[in-house]
Amino acid sequence: MTPTLTLNDFAALSPMLILLAFALILLLVESFAQEAAKRWSTAIALIGLVIAGYAAVVAPASDNPLLLPWLRFDSLARTLSVFFIVIGVATVLLSSAFFKRFDASHGEYYFLLLSAIIGLLFIGYSADFLTLFLGLETLSISLYVLCGYMKKWEHSHEAAIKYFLMGALAAAFLLYGIALIYGATGTTNFDALLPMYEGLKGTPQQTLFLAGVALVTLGLAFKAAIVPFHVWAPDVYEGAPTPVTAFMAVGTKAGAFAAFARVFLVALPNFDPIWNELIALLAFPTLIYANIVALRQVQLRRFFAYSGISHAGFLLIPLAAGNAHSLQALVFYLVVYALATLGSFAVLAFLDERSQGVMLNDLRGLFRRSPMLAAVFSLCLLTLAGIPPTAGFFAKFYVFKLAFEAGYYTLLVVGLLTTILSAYYYLRIVSVMFSEAPAETTAPQRLDSAAIVGTLAFAAIIVFSCLPAPLLTLLDLQ
Amino acid sequence: MQGLAWLFAIPFLTSVILFFLPNGRHLKSLAVLFSLLPLALLIGNFDHWIGATIEYPWFPAIGIEFYLTVDSLSLVFLFLTAVIIPISLLAVRGQQLIFSSTFYGLVLLLEGLLIGFFTARDLAVFTIFWEAMLLPLYFIIALWGGPQRQAAAIKFLVYMIAGSVLMIVGVLALYFTAETSSGVGTFNLNALASVAGSSPNATWICAVFLLAFAVKTPLFPFHAWLPDAYYQAPTAGTILLSAILSKAGIYGLLRVALPLFPDVMVAWSPLLLALAIIGVLYGGMAAWMQNDYKSLIAYSSFSHVNFVLAGLFVFSQTAQEGAILQAVNHGITITALFLVAGWLQERIGTTAIGGVSGLAKFVPHLCWLTLFFVLSSVAVPGTNSFIGELLILFGVFGVNPWMAAALALTVILSVIYMLRWMQKVYFEAPGLYQEAWVDLKGREMLVALPLVLLILWIGIYPAPFLERIRPATEKTVAVEVQRFPDSLSRGSRYRSSPVCPQTVLCQSPQHLRRNSVFYFRELPVEVLP
Repeated sequence: MTPTLTLNDFAALSPMLILLAFALILLLVESFAQEAAKRWSTAIALIGLVIAGYAAVVAPASDNPLLLPWLRFDSLARTLSVFFIVIGVATVLLSSAFFKRFDASHGEYYFLLLSAIIGLLFIGYSADFLTLFLGLETLSISLYVLCGYMKKWEHSHEAAIKYFLMGALAAAFLLYGIALIYGATGTTNFDALLPMYEGLKGTPQQTLFLAGVALVTLGLAFKAAIVPFHVWAPDVYEGAPTPVTAFMAVGTKAGAFAAFARVFLVALPNFDPIWNELIALLAFPTLIYANIVALRQVQLRRFFAYSGISHAGFLLIPLAAGNAHSLQALVFYLVVYALATLGSFAVLAFLDERSQGVMLNDLRGLFRRSPMLAAVFSLCLLTLAGIPPTAGFFAKFYVFKLAFEAGYYTLLVVGLLTTILSAYYYLRIVSVMFSEAPAETTAPQRLDSAAIVGTLAFAAIIVFSCLPAPLLTLLDLQ
Repeated sequence: MQGLAWLFAIPFLTSVILFFLPNGRHLKSLAVLFSLLPLALLIGNFDHWIGATIEYPWFPAIGIEFYLTVDSLSLVFLFLTAVIIPISLLAVRGQQLIFSSTFYGLVLLLEGLLIGFFTARDLAVFTIFWEAMLLPLYFIIALWGGPQRQAAAIKFLVYMIAGSVLMIVGVLALYFTAETSSGVGTFNLNALASVAGSSPNATWICAVFLLAFAVKTPLFPFHAWLPDAYYQAPTAGTILLSAILSKAGIYGLLRVALPLFPDVMVAWSPLLLALAIIGVLYGGMAAWMQNDYKSLIAYSSFSHVNFVLAGLFVFSQTAQEGAILQAVNHGITITALFLVAGWLQERIGTTAIGGVSGLAKFVPHLCWLTLFFVLSSVAVPGTNSFIGELLILFGVFGVNPWMAAALALTVILSVIYMLRWMQKVYFEAPGLYQEAWVDLKGREMLVALPLVLLILWIGIYPAPFLERIRPATEKTVAVEVQRFPDSLSRGSRYRSSPVCPQTVLCQSPQHLRRNSVFYFRELPVEVLP
């Protein structure tokens, strides 16, 4: 008897299906009613995301044998889906603020954004390498176009081409790695990998498997912008429009580390100590390089690229430690990082004047022009720096505790020393905001959508700084 | 328990209220009123504070427990905080303050963080408050400071973070030491006191803690942040930095380094004592060279804090009692000095020495008040610093008379630079009168009055203060006395000192002095409740 998909299965798939439906609606509206698209596409995208978010929370798990080889419906998938959709909502709001200033047609923008989020959802639900790859590629291709979305900006063209070419190369490596793993084990399903690997130990197939794993790590490390696969990030972040940069900084980073979590914390936990050593080896240059180069940045989108690379270095530490709490620490850190970065980009949305984005000098005297914006940005930057008592300190402390437990003492000390450097460059921005303003500056204009993102991020950071434990129960991972 | 929850929560709640109020002229009175609430709580509930506890699992996944307790050591510093913060707020000129609601909110936030810090008994919570208290001060310097405030503020914060960031490794190492020795990891200081000393890595763990405490106090040579930060901060900010932040470092030594790592501290005490004494001399010489009285008082503060540290690094109960008392005295006196310096600056418009002279003719009340505080700073008998420095010298003399002599000579140094300032600004030939040189108003005298009274009270009748401080030193010395038999059995070069039932101070035998053993044990005669 051939199994068929029942209503329950469609309900389980509903987040992705809803987003797909709304994405197609947006495309249709854009094709047939461009004026309506300009006015309504933000609202349609938001409604779609909110419904998909609700669906992600209440969706039942499915046990249909048609779906189970490809998708896993567990609590991690649910948490990640809600997280990605919240990032999507924030990006939609930031985009709406962006388009108030820079006129460009919107319908296909939101279609591409929703497609990217569908890709992220697939990563979250993946139970097989092919689903993972599908999700990553959907995310990437949408982002390639989104980076070059502003047709008149030349540095956007450069950013998009760079991202596309390097991303295609990295995807090729990822696929080759998957192929090697398939060659070694005969399957791409996550559940089968660990038992298969146990059987391979000592045979030549083990080398094949490890080579495949190395290439998969390379492909994912590219997406996560880990040194030395990070070279695309500063140029692409700098060239893309600000809300797309926000989405890349938060969404792609979260997606890449969700992929790492799915493959190396859920499917292959501690399969071989050599992999943990490799990750620790990657973390050293990432932390050192990113924190040193970030000291010199003046263009803020580029600055957040290096900030993201440095945080990717910290996020590698739970992966290297690989113990029972790694997943929790990883997701906790990601959430705090996402809140702080989205809050920062919300403030940047108010100050975005030209295609180069916000420069450091534009922030001069922000405290006088708008104390609220300066306060939100300061709190977000202090959270990113990991200075107590912000939630960022708890995230870093959790990660450092895991590193100590696993015995990576040098990595821990390097992490702490680079935190000093990061404190300096984040504080530099804070001090520019509090310094004297040049005479002829105006107060930033009113942008309600960005204000919502900023206020919610600010409030969430303060709440989680005072009460970090509820965030863990909210994440519902163990 | 209830009282402590209120004591901790009130500054935060009032700080949030102040952040959201609009800037106005009456905000200063409201802020001062709010800042007096913790003091009222402390005085009102006076006899019931010792033992008050808050215990709450804050972040169980990492093992952080929100554990605050008041004991006699904490109580001393809580009182100091509760007295100094209202005075620092009163030192502010309310009308000329931009963004006044933010300023008052930040000061009250600092008060809350300090109360949390001085009562924290969970090492992770201790670290959180240790670093968190820097943030309000950073903003106070950056927004309301002098011309080079941005650079000074960043230097201050990054230097402090650099000093204390390795403390996190130390904290984690202690957690896992507890886990290996007793099966369950903990950050609780009481539980760690028994396991920390025996950890194989005790030396470097103590080193990272010492580095953090040395940077904040600051101990020579970790004081590079001090001149700029103290000079560029506004008067209220400088008062908070010198009177309270330095005490945080001293408290850290008393709460963490001495109880957890007594052996390491004893082994290093020659080096630390040497650094402290060099710091006293360096600060004094630098103060003598200054042509700016705000810098002068800053270096003087540095010099006196190193004097307090010298008292801490000799392990005698008398010296420790003196050190804790002198920490409080220093807080009071340096607040007073920066207060009058701020008033002087408002009147003559500059902090340079030498531009204006002979002010005693025009502002006599300010002049005599300044002289009184200067006398307190140089430890004239009858003022608070005399008692504190006397006890410290007493303790140091018992260890090494030459060190005590060196320390005593630094008192002369402090007299030189302070009186040089007084002479040049107040007592030389007066110039032409300027309108801004108005004498102290009654309101300003009232602000200084509590400081004057405290200085005289501690100076003339210190017994109640010493009695309150003594229990704090009992525990520390008792821990060292317990360690003593261990070091004997390990065959170390510590020789035994005879038990002297009569006196607090034991004479060291001849052979000990010949071998230049640097320390011996004092045994308390009676244990006070």
